[in-house]
Amino acid sequence: MGRRGKDAIGAAAVFAVLALIPLVIRSDYFTGILTVSLIFGIWTTSWDFMSGLTGRENFGHALFIGAGAYTAAFLNGKFELTPWLGLPVGALAAVAFSLVVGFPTLRLRGPYFALAMLAAATIMQRLTRIFWEYTGGEEGIPGLDPLFESHLVMYYFCLGALALTAGVLLLLARSSWGTILRAIRGDEAACQAAGINVTFYKIAALMISSAFAGIGGALYADYQEAVTPDVFAVALSITIIIMAYVGGIGTIYGPVGGAILLAMLPELLRGLGEYRLWVYSLVLIFILYFTPGGLVAPIWRRFTGTAR
Amino acid sequence: MTALLRVDRVTKRFGGLVAVKDVSFELQPGEITGVLGPNGAGKTTLFNLLTGFIAMDLGVAEFDGHSLGGLAPHRVVNLGLARTFQLCRPFRGMSVIDNVTVGCLAPRVRGEGGIEARARRILGQVGLGAKAEALVDALPYGDLRRLEIARALATKPKLLLLDEPFAGLGSNEIEPLSQLIRRLHAEEGLTILIIEHKLREFMQLVRRVIAMDFGEIIAIGPPAEIVRHPRVVEAYIGRTEAPLGAA
Repeated sequence: MGRRGKDAIGAAAVFAVLALIPLVIRSDYFTGILTVSLIFGIWTTSWDFMSGLTGRENFGHALFIGAGAYTAAFLNGKFELTPWLGLPVGALAAVAFSLVVGFPTLRLRGPYFALAMLAAATIMQRLTRIFWEYTGGEEGIPGLDPLFESHLVMYYFCLGALALTAGVLLLLARSSWGTILRAIRGDEAACQAAGINVTFYKIAALMISSAFAGIGGALYADYQEAVTPDVFAVALSITIIIMAYVGGIGTIYGPVGGAILLAMLPELLRGLGEYRLWVYSLVLIFILYFTPGGLVAPIWRRFTGTAR
Repeated sequence: MTALLRVDRVTKRFGGLVAVKDVSFELQPGEITGVLGPNGAGKTTLFNLLTGFIAMDLGVAEFDGHSLGGLAPHRVVNLGLARTFQLCRPFRGMSVIDNVTVGCLAPRVRGEGGIEARARRILGQVGLGAKAEALVDALPYGDLRRLEIARALATKPKLLLLDEPFAGLGSNEIEPLSQLIRRLHAEEGLTILIIEHKLREFMQLVRRVIAMDFGEIIAIGPPAEIVRHPRVVEAYIGRTEAPLGAA
């Protein structure tokens, strides 16, 4: 069987397991944790599409998440429009932000893009507090309408959204687009010398990345039925980067696994009580130190027998 | 016959240093020409100016009827002017075939389709056909040099600029590469401009030499004349080595 066939069977198996878990462990609380970990999957794999493939680290992915989440919250909470509108409009808002930051900084080499993303997300978090009359400040915007009354249905909707996101990004990453983005990571000047408009591809990759992050942000607001300034937090951006590294950057599917694994880990360690954070941090350090290529992607390759 | 490349009084300053000064020359289609000069003569700067990697301060360069002034590197390539780098710059972490595929994806040639088949054909042309699936990180330097040329060829250039293609190669690798360049010139009708230090390759490869020193052209002529030209001899003697003995 070819590489694609094994990959497809593996992906279907993972999908089936994720679909069955909430039917076996019947707990609204646990289903909720799983739902958030799926949303983390969307955020992390979309980060990987830009930063993993092109090597341009984005230290403020929360900017796009927050843009999607607050857009959804404004539309539903302030203008009382259907929560469904938040998904596409949240994506558009995130893309608008990606252009504002990406257009001036991705033409340059050096750390400008990474720093500008970090700064932009932090500024947006401050603005939500400064303009508290509109944004609710620290309290955020509560009382949003859920997409679905049932937590279980919301879980399956997020599972579908994650599968769609990862599927689309994986197809793109394995097309000639992915080849060009990886070449940019390899050597930007050589890529120009091969006739490629690298600025165009970097900005386009960031737009695609931000669109999915924005949808993920809107989903998060819908799931929480509220939004707070935390969606713009530096800690969230860093968590996503760590999840991507644990998954295996540049593979698209690896970061999905890294996100679900790390989002679930604190729950799985709950039995350890107050030692939980200690163990969590140690596990993280060990993974990052001993598996520079990530944890999820290499294991996946071993099981499916694919070379790269 | 109209020139393929016309360079007219091109100048580039870096602070107080004039790296390229009033350089003018023409290349006719199908020519194979060399740029000779000691280290720091401005040869690579000249290539960087022509290919859009750095901007000219003064002067005009015209390629195939288009002005090169102010064009971004990828635009220059898509006019049909490709280059290689002095130090090989492969896309690390990617396979040999994917490295060449990137060149096949340049807008200039992308529409032709059959991208993978084209990439494989070009790899065969430069003698890397058997290593298509290998990771570039595992390739010896001589192969990287061929890959560098293959990636430039993928964009179907009319003019190919080779920046010291023989640098860092073992003596047994020089002759085959020299033959490859000669074949590209003869069979594909490619116009080629080569930077090189080593005179023996020049004597055999190029028909005309542009000699540079301190950013200026000091002589243009057939190789046999150039090596005896008093200013060329002067430029080399008193430096690290005499050109005649160095090859």
